[in-house]
Amino acid sequence: MTDATANPTPPSAHSGSLLVQDKLTKKRNAAEARFKLYGLTAVSLGILALVLLLASILSNGLSSFQQTFVSLDVELVEAKLDKNGNRNIDDIKKVSTFGYAPLIKAAVEKAIADGGIEIEGLTAKDAAGIVSKDAPAQLRNYVIANPEKIGTTINFNLLANGRIDGYQKGRVTKESAELDSNVSPEQLMLADALKENGTLVKRFNWGFITRPDASENRPEAAGLGVAILGSLYMMMVVLVLALPIGVAASIYLEEFAPKNRWTDLIEVNISNLAAVPSIVFGILGLAIFINFAGLPQSAPIVGGLVLTLMTLPTIIIATRASLKSVPPSIRDAALGVGASKMQSVLHHVLPLAAPGILTGTIIGLAQALGETAPLLLIGMVAFVREYPSAPPEGFFDPASALPVQVYNWTQRADPAFVERASGAIIVLLIFLVFMNAVAIMLRRRFERRW
Amino acid sequence: MNDMRMVEREVDTKEVKISARDCQVYYGDNHAIKDVNVDIEDKTVTAFIGPSGCGKSTFLRCLNRMNDTIDICRVEGQIKLDGEDIYDPAVDPVQLRAKVGMVFQKPNPFPKSIYDNIAYGPRIHGLAKNKADLDVIVEKSLRRGAIWDEVKDRLDKPGTGLSGGQQQRLCIARAVATEPEVLLMDEPCSALDPIATAQVEELIDELRGRYSVVIVTHSMQQAARVSQKTAFFHLGNLVEFGETGQIFTNPQDPRTESYITGRIG
Repeated sequence: MTDATANPTPPSAHSGSLLVQDKLTKKRNAAEARFKLYGLTAVSLGILALVLLLASILSNGLSSFQQTFVSLDVELVEAKLDKNGNRNIDDIKKVSTFGYAPLIKAAVEKAIADGGIEIEGLTAKDAAGIVSKDAPAQLRNYVIANPEKIGTTINFNLLANGRIDGYQKGRVTKESAELDSNVSPEQLMLADALKENGTLVKRFNWGFITRPDASENRPEAAGLGVAILGSLYMMMVVLVLALPIGVAASIYLEEFAPKNRWTDLIEVNISNLAAVPSIVFGILGLAIFINFAGLPQSAPIVGGLVLTLMTLPTIIIATRASLKSVPPSIRDAALGVGASKMQSVLHHVLPLAAPGILTGTIIGLAQALGETAPLLLIGMVAFVREYPSAPPEGFFDPASALPVQVYNWTQRADPAFVERASGAIIVLLIFLVFMNAVAIMLRRRFERRW
Repeated sequence: MNDMRMVEREVDTKEVKISARDCQVYYGDNHAIKDVNVDIEDKTVTAFIGPSGCGKSTFLRCLNRMNDTIDICRVEGQIKLDGEDIYDPAVDPVQLRAKVGMVFQKPNPFPKSIYDNIAYGPRIHGLAKNKADLDVIVEKSLRRGAIWDEVKDRLDKPGTGLSGGQQQRLCIARAVATEPEVLLMDEPCSALDPIATAQVEELIDELRGRYSVVIVTHSMQQAARVSQKTAFFHLGNLVEFGETGQIFTNPQDPRTESYITGRIG
């Protein structure tokens, strides 16, 4: 104690009560609180953007899953559809859709008469106009498929005209119809009347998912069938090509290749490829696959090849990262019991890296699924009404793709296509959410094994 | 002092299993092992001791060419197993490693079932003709690894779920399952508690009846307890090699004496 008094130690930097915060601590705590606030703001902004995006897409697009149909009893008049009366399918096919239009007109007139509806100033032509221009084709397809029904009267659910559908969804009003050359207020009144007696109904629109695209003036008939098939085919091509090539390349680079200047160069270039704008891959595809290799335009095979080129770097980078994360002790263990390099990789390293590889692959696929720009250049933007046939021939048939369909529809004048485009975005998002869910599920499943 | 009973133990002169002559190892420009000459005998436990970074593990890994996996590593000189140069270009390291098994410092069971951990080696070397054969090998190996009684009821459970000591014995059983002639152990007990260490040491003593065992250890007590021959490495040189009792009681080199008395290292 005497020593202590003789040489007083300098006061400790941490003297003072623990119950009172000193200046530095206060400053530090304030900085931390501020930092948390920044982070919270950033997260809220992100969530707000997401909510706004989803809200706008859903509010615009959900209605495309509902469609207005007119339920009509159509008499399939034999004199018009099969003049010879011998049910020869070739003769029946000679009657074009124009031949079916009068049948629909008659059916609408009958429905009006049966319902006792009287609307001033409504011409017979206008009355028939509430049915979609696509309806005659619907009838014709039915008759060609069932020629024995000619001469009978059948109840059909025919698509209503796009404007009538818009009226049901609140997009068209009687005031706007006054100014619209495509629809008259009288037609809307007729629609009201038919709705009242149950002839005009709104129901779930399977056609939006299954039907092919339709032309400018019949938005009610436009569907995503061809685009979904085209996207599906492309994803098949990408999966079949990109996964094995990507995994093989990464395993070679990560496990077998000597580390020298060449492999360094390759590594840098793979990272660079991942950053190349996607439209550049489109030009490459156009030059190589279509102009040089002579593959058909608008074909899923070309789209798939281009997207494979685009996806490969993503898959290779993800696979290499997950191979790297496998502890080296596992490799040592395998080599130590006398496994060859390949056995150690295939039996031990690859199964452990599988969750990472799968996640990378599915994220690459999801990226490819949403890619538009390269597809525009290889002709996937074409208007395609024919379904591609089943694989493998279908890979060479013209098809569309989901994101390209969205792009196409946003270009069209009819306001009904706004709803369609948003609906297509919803379908695309559902696909993406589904793929990501699968990725998460696979990862959980593989990780939980041990 | 009990440990020093080794002195009285009779050491037979046995056949030489591995002989190294003028062995040099380089990591890039770094000369890690210098002029090592050593004869490792069959059915003997040989301990490598020395301070950290003295090259004992590096030399051990040369004996089954595990250093091949390190790109910058270069081995010169001659290492012969049963009179055959293991660095001869005609030698396939995979075949060599089946003869010279290895147990690592950190227990590294495969993330598979206990059964598959043991069965993996025999499977890839074609030691079992059918499932029944394999079952026999697995049981025999687990018994030799002194872990059978603890795991016999849960062979289908993951090997990674065992405790550290059990995992290490599982790894030893795995190494034994491929019927090697030499077993290399790189600090097998450094991650284990004293009880598990005792079990592993007991095991090493049993293994001596069949194999030539080479063990790297930081514990001089362990070296004295389990080995018949001891090699002392210092700064990449093999300073002294001789019978364990003699090394610990009457070292010839002053460096060895400093190390075992705790003055260097």
